[in-house]
Amino acid sequence: MSDQAAVDKAFDALKTYNWGTDPKVLLPITEEVVATHGDAAAREKLEARLAELLKTDVSRDSKDFVCRKLMLIGTAASVPALAALLPDKDNSHMARYALERIQVPEAAAAMRDALPKLSGVLKVGVIASLGVRQDAASVPALAALLGDSDAMVAGAAASALGDIHTPEAAKALLATQPSAATAKLDATDASLACAESLLAAGNKAEALAVYKSLIGQEQPKYIKLAATRGMLLCAGKK
Amino acid sequence: MDNPQDTPKQPSRRDFLKTAGAASAAIAIPYVITSSALGDATRPPASDRIVMGGIGIGNMGRGDQGAFLGRGDVQYVAVCDVRKGARDGAKGKVDGHYHNKDCKAYNDFRELISRTDIDAIHCATPDHWHAIVVIEACRHGKDVYCQKPETRTLREGPLMVQAARRYGRVVSGGSQRVLEDYRGLVNKCWGGELGNIKSINVNVGPLSQPCNLPAQPVPADIDWEMWLGPAPWAPYNSKRCDGNFGTSGGSWRSYIDYSGGGMTDWGAHHFGGATFAVDVRELQPEEVIYHDEKDGKYVTLRYPNGLLFHHNKPKTGHMQVEGTPGEKRAAKPVPTYKGQGGIYGDFIDCVKTREKPFRDIELAVNTVAVSHLATIAYTLQRTLKWDAAAQQFTGDEEANRMVDRARREPWQL
Repeated sequence: MSDQAAVDKAFDALKTYNWGTDPKVLLPITEEVVATHGDAAAREKLEARLAELLKTDVSRDSKDFVCRKLMLIGTAASVPALAALLPDKDNSHMARYALERIQVPEAAAAMRDALPKLSGVLKVGVIASLGVRQDAASVPALAALLGDSDAMVAGAAASALGDIHTPEAAKALLATQPSAATAKLDATDASLACAESLLAAGNKAEALAVYKSLIGQEQPKYIKLAATRGMLLCAGKK
Repeated sequence: MDNPQDTPKQPSRRDFLKTAGAASAAIAIPYVITSSALGDATRPPASDRIVMGGIGIGNMGRGDQGAFLGRGDVQYVAVCDVRKGARDGAKGKVDGHYHNKDCKAYNDFRELISRTDIDAIHCATPDHWHAIVVIEACRHGKDVYCQKPETRTLREGPLMVQAARRYGRVVSGGSQRVLEDYRGLVNKCWGGELGNIKSINVNVGPLSQPCNLPAQPVPADIDWEMWLGPAPWAPYNSKRCDGNFGTSGGSWRSYIDYSGGGMTDWGAHHFGGATFAVDVRELQPEEVIYHDEKDGKYVTLRYPNGLLFHHNKPKTGHMQVEGTPGEKRAAKPVPTYKGQGGIYGDFIDCVKTREKPFRDIELAVNTVAVSHLATIAYTLQRTLKWDAAAQQFTGDEEANRMVDRARREPWQL
């Protein structure tokens, strides 16, 4: 049974919470998260109170705490408040901390929508989160970033396509390769991930095409070995 | 040892030695080779040594470095740490050992990993870095010895195994205690003396806690952004990043963003030893049963073969095994290290033979999964079903959200 007065007091504490404050003052909120499991109405109320704080000028530390709780209990209702933080360099990561794990399509859509508005490491972070979510709907947007002039963005897009590893992701990686050396290594790893997935799904011809693309002379020996091993598996040999 | 990193464009150390040798022979210039490079009865020639570097060279890393540096079949060439003092100290140790100034020191592990002359690395960063370093090392064709606990989240484990297998790398976990601390119990269990094992109990803890320490000025000695890496941003505080072995505050091992606390830090040893003793190293539990009883809270992890694995069961001894002593079982040979020199020798031997080490990353990942599964059940205070094949909880979305956590940009697995 939750102690509503204690929860209210903890929400009050959040307004002035900052590094150096004893984190125990927020414990009632953490306990409320556990106590409201299975109680949709209580959860909705708790989520709304947390999300509302993200729209205020509470400290970065308070928003950090809120995002950690929304990571657990957040729904589509929290997505707008979280998505609004994606371009904010101080809070973008913690917004993704929640959005990456909230398994509603609105969360992925919000991150996809944010991509064109972001650059540099914040863009890389959102790309990575879409990859972790294995968001197949992001493949076209990620494919378009493989040729990005920012090598970090191109490499992150390649890695995310590897995380998604659908046949469409494999095709995108075959069609466009990043130019920077570091991004090329990401693309190679992503291509191997796609080929493994294609092979596991029985698409041997498509897997073979990916493996063959990775055995060029310019590749280090260990990558050629990985691709050759894959080609043998495509041929039914272990 | 053949270096898989060799490429036509980037000559390796061995290519260089071959070329240098051929050139000197062709133009008949006397070529001076040191006795160290030629090797002797106790040390192979330089071309046959495993070329190594170390990443995260503080407390545990210092010990690991010493173990590898002391081996005649290792040529230790590089160190990396985000603390200048640790980095310089580690370089000095290597240079002193070889009586030269050749060891290179790096702040950014990616520079060390991208060197094509390095065969293997050891990693003893704080736990929140392990998966990134191990996976990135595999992608660069390196073999890896990684300190325990090998993972910070459940999702990291299979990705580390996948990277090792994808690139044919030897990746060893780092707990020497798994084999060495419980030999008596292991021999009894594997020897069949205890019959069929029904359950075992491990007492270990605590869980890690949130950290909200106040900001302090960042010392010039540390690259704070790199120390935090994929963890949520937080201000510098010496206690937040202290490498001491405590798990109850005042060390990174105490705090949730960097460690699972005693549950993973000592759990890697004890759960590793226990899963070895009762022979479930190759499995992951299928259910985590949360108990909240008069005598205390504890969890029981149930394995697919029916074995019950208790954590902190009240009134039950550490490593207490329940068997069927009246029904003796046929003895099985107990797995052990390969090569000479304990867990380090096991790793180096496997780098040479390409066999799986005693603490192959897959077994290490299964061990730390016990810690993570128990932690999630304690946090949510309920019983959970775990589908090991899918690496997902069944019918519990909140628990699934705890399988991983978003990494701070630009870091990704």
